[in-house]
Amino acid sequence: MSSPSATATPDAHGHADDNKFWAYVQIAMLLAVITGVEIVAIGLPFNKVLLITALIVLSIVKFLFVIFYFMHLRWDKVFCTILFFIGLILAGGTMWALLTIFAFEDSRPLTAVTADVPAEHSTR
Amino acid sequence: MSSHAASGTVDHHHDASTATGIPNKKLLMWAFLASDCMFFGTLISTHLIYRLHPPAGNPEPRVVFDVPLTSFSTFILLMSSLMMALAVNAIQKGNLRSMRFSLLTTAFFGAIFLGCQVWEFWHFVHEKHMTITNSILGTTFFTLTGTHGLHVLIGVIWLISMYFYSFTGRVGEKQAIDVESMGLYWHFVDIVWIVIFTAVYLLEYL
Repeated sequence: MSSPSATATPDAHGHADDNKFWAYVQIAMLLAVITGVEIVAIGLPFNKVLLITALIVLSIVKFLFVIFYFMHLRWDKVFCTILFFIGLILAGGTMWALLTIFAFEDSRPLTAVTADVPAEHSTR
Repeated sequence: MSSHAASGTVDHHHDASTATGIPNKKLLMWAFLASDCMFFGTLISTHLIYRLHPPAGNPEPRVVFDVPLTSFSTFILLMSSLMMALAVNAIQKGNLRSMRFSLLTTAFFGAIFLGCQVWEFWHFVHEKHMTITNSILGTTFFTLTGTHGLHVLIGVIWLISMYFYSFTGRVGEKQAIDVESMGLYWHFVDIVWIVIFTAVYLLEYL
């Protein structure tokens, strides 16, 4: 196992060793405020689609702040970002595929189909 | 010659001894986290599919869930992420004492989160009568949040182990990558919860 070299090659990210203390505190406060906004938002009498979109966007903002600042992706080699996003895209693609497949009538989970049968019979 | 080499400090974002320029431990952790994304992706998908097509007799999530408690847990986990970031920042400057304090605080917040989750599970089973076997909602919910809770538990054990290990004298600025790798894991646990909090809890109230 190698350890970070004390005689590193020329560094284009010299600012990385700056004191990030206050930046971290400010980001954490921002994340807390966004979480508060999310909680308040679910009680607002707005359009459902608008609220769902807002919640998803706010979650993505929180997600990106954590991975790029707290997890240092902003300062690390871009390969780390690519590696993580490969997993993220595969996971997102899998979720999209599964949700799409099960949206079709013939692919609904068996328990859900079975549960609907008595209801359909009773309406005939 | 780089400014780091000239000043004798450690460059924590570059390792000249590896082909990628990335410390091997960090690369390993990012690869693991990428695979864990897919693991949680399937668990979240399974929960959402059964929520979109709920079988008869499924408990009503709005009646079962306790958003104030979960919001508190979310806030605690966010603050633990802050303390973890501060621990990494401290060890990268060689400030062992500050790192120890931050590690302990992170572990403490993680333990609070776990306590909230244990209370939530106990409440669901004994008061709301939703178990892992008596409904699809219970199965997908307990599997998903339980797996996340297991990750948090592993993180807390890792944090406490690192705290005691730091007293052996083998943790310093040059070994900051060990703390940073642990930090990556802990922040990942946080971002997974960010997704779960919205997808599993908040969307139920719309």
